Amino acid sequence: MNKNMTLFKVYLLAGTFTFSGGMAMLPVIERELCDKLNLITKKDLYEYTTLSQTFPGVIALTNACFVGKKVNGTVGMIAAGLGAVLPAYILMSIATVLYQLVPQDGIILSILGAIRATSAAFLITAAYSIARYNLNNVVNIGIALVCFILTIFNLVSAPMLIVLAIVFGIILTYGRQVKK
Amino acid sequence: MIIKIFLVFLKIGFLGFGGGYAMLSLIYHEASKFGMTMAQFADMNALDGIIPGLIAINSATYVGQMYGGFWAALVATVAVSVPSMIFVPLYVKYEAKINKNYYLNQILSCIKAASVGLIFAVAFLLILSIGLNVENIFNWQHLSINYTSLGIIVLVIFIYLRYEINPIILILASGLLGGLVYLI
Repeated sequence: MNKNMTLFKVYLLAGTFTFSGGMAMLPVIERELCDKLNLITKKDLYEYTTLSQTFPGVIALTNACFVGKKVNGTVGMIAAGLGAVLPAYILMSIATVLYQLVPQDGIILSILGAIRATSAAFLITAAYSIARYNLNNVVNIGIALVCFILTIFNLVSAPMLIVLAIVFGIILTYGRQVKK
Repeated sequence: MIIKIFLVFLKIGFLGFGGGYAMLSLIYHEASKFGMTMAQFADMNALDGIIPGLIAINSATYVGQMYGGFWAALVATVAVSVPSMIFVPLYVKYEAKINKNYYLNQILSCIKAASVGLIFAVAFLLILSIGLNVENIFNWQHLSINYTSLGIIVLVIFIYLRYEINPIILILASGLLGGLVYLI
């Protein structure tokens, strides 16, 4: 079968049957592309996975683009990327249209209220699990704390804080380099 | 409107380091300009959990669809995907020249720390809105505690961290509980 079609189908499959985030796609990709089809080695796949996390943008999509590019050049990249994005786009479009049709009163509001509370809980657990791996020194804890306070008091916008973090990171590493 | 949505999601894509959840704080910040409320943001986050696929794509599609319809959803999805399509070919072409070294990792570490602060802040504001019925911290005098919501938040955090139950089951179960609370 055509390599582009294969990439598209494998990522479409992985995107359709994985929930809550892109990392969950990996086992499916590994099974299909590495074990069954031998299109890419596991070492390459996991190297791209690590590498993707250093780029801005949608991590799992960046990963899909790397794999597609490696297997079949730019066309392969587009095929894999399209496959990874389409399920989320199509299913979420349908879900949002249905959601807009739901009247928000009575029992439905009560149900939504409970779901919103669960949603807040998920956000806390997500933040906690990212914090556990990244807040491992005083500087990082300080940055996180400053960003938290500035955001809840609505003093500096979120995009601006990211830009400031980049600038701070550059100054910090430059300073350390000079010290050596 | 469509051009505005495209530019906003391009910005979110290029500043979005650290995955879907790290992007959510940016998405909330930008989408609130289009009129997104905390409740709608919470619903988006819940839908992200139920609908398959990448969280950032799900969220972009939701915001586009909600505030600009079909074409805006498509445009938001394309815009948030642009950075991947640009950086991958660039990296492959100039791999040898790009330092994937200590310094880059240092800078990334700072960005991720900022992202953690931003997610906690959005989570905090969400709890303020859902559990205490206050839209921002300056209105704290007007708070009225919603015990059911606060109870669910604490319970779900505990269950999720302790037993790693599938998020879809937790969302469905909490929905059922919300329905029962109304009927009783």
